[in-house]
Amino acid sequence: MKRRILTISVAAFIATTPAFAHYGMIIPNDPMISQADGRSVALTMSFSHPFELDGMMLDTPVSFSVTHEGTTTDLLGELQDATVMEDQGYTLDYPLDRPGTYIFSMEPQPYWEPAEDAFIIHYTKTYVTAYGDDEGWDTELGLKTEIVPLSKPFGLWEHNVFQGIVKMDGVAVPYAEVEVEFFNEDAAATAPDELMITQTVKADADGVFTYAPPSDGWWGFAALSTADYTLPQDGEDKAVELGAVIWVHFEEWTGQ
Amino acid sequence: MDRTVIRAVVLASVLVAAPFGAAAHQLTVFASVDCEAVLVEAKFSNGKAVQLAEVRVLDGENALLSTLAIGEDGTLSIPLDSVDHSGGLVIEVDTGSHDNYWIVTPDDIARNCQS
Repeated sequence: MKRRILTISVAAFIATTPAFAHYGMIIPNDPMISQADGRSVALTMSFSHPFELDGMMLDTPVSFSVTHEGTTTDLLGELQDATVMEDQGYTLDYPLDRPGTYIFSMEPQPYWEPAEDAFIIHYTKTYVTAYGDDEGWDTELGLKTEIVPLSKPFGLWEHNVFQGIVKMDGVAVPYAEVEVEFFNEDAAATAPDELMITQTVKADADGVFTYAPPSDGWWGFAALSTADYTLPQDGEDKAVELGAVIWVHFEEWTGQ
Repeated sequence: MDRTVIRAVVLASVLVAAPFGAAAHQLTVFASVDCEAVLVEAKFSNGKAVQLAEVRVLDGENALLSTLAIGEDGTLSIPLDSVDHSGGLVIEVDTGSHDNYWIVTPDDIARNCQS
């Protein structure tokens, strides 16, 4: 009974006051493209609360690119406007001409969040492997802030651990706080307590964090920090939250 | 349904499809195509190029067209005019202990050779 009541009250809370973690999102139709899947990947970009499926405005990003075999290509002009979770987002069909790991990365414009009295900038990325070749899966892009995968960021079974190292300006961040949230695509997941919508882990002294998800699907990891600069809003200097976001897909276990 | 039958079905329907995970997943085979040739590339999952392997070229009906040796750099160029590629091609690479393949579909050829 208690569990049911909590679920109902959380549902009501979610419906009226989305107040959980913000996430930049880059979600491919498949993180592992085989030759059976065709010769391209379809990407959907948004800024949202992924568990509640609550979208927010994603203005034209500052940058959107793909990195493959050490070469980074600007794709900003290729983005197509789309409505994602009932708000502004983007889509992109990108041809995969060769095998290997493709890392799609986005720097959004600063998002003013009055509720937090701060701007939010989430440096967001997703790794996609093509044609059975996982070379490049541990690529570090050199973003302002970034989660560098220590576990291969695709081809993971549900319940496997995912490990990454949180970096800021290329340097590991000791004891960085990492928020973890499930992309509740079909709205089937419910949370018995609002604290379980966004889970939090801390990195160790070397900036390494570990998390094991309870189910298959897309999981977002956001390492948050406060920038050493401010941005103006209504004549005042406001803090800037920087997020290093990586999206990782865990596959359903098919064994007995 | 064995792998050969699946491949035949796939090519006959001119769909891009591959069978379930190749038994020797440690070997990666890829083939790109332009108007002149199919370039086959084979490497192991550690990134090392295959240096010794047999390359079998089959047509869309799964008939063997040619058997060739891969180069020491793990690549092989197959001139398009040397094979009947109208129904697509299956490129099999077999090192003796590992094997895998890539399907070159008619769409792949058309897309990369617009003329």
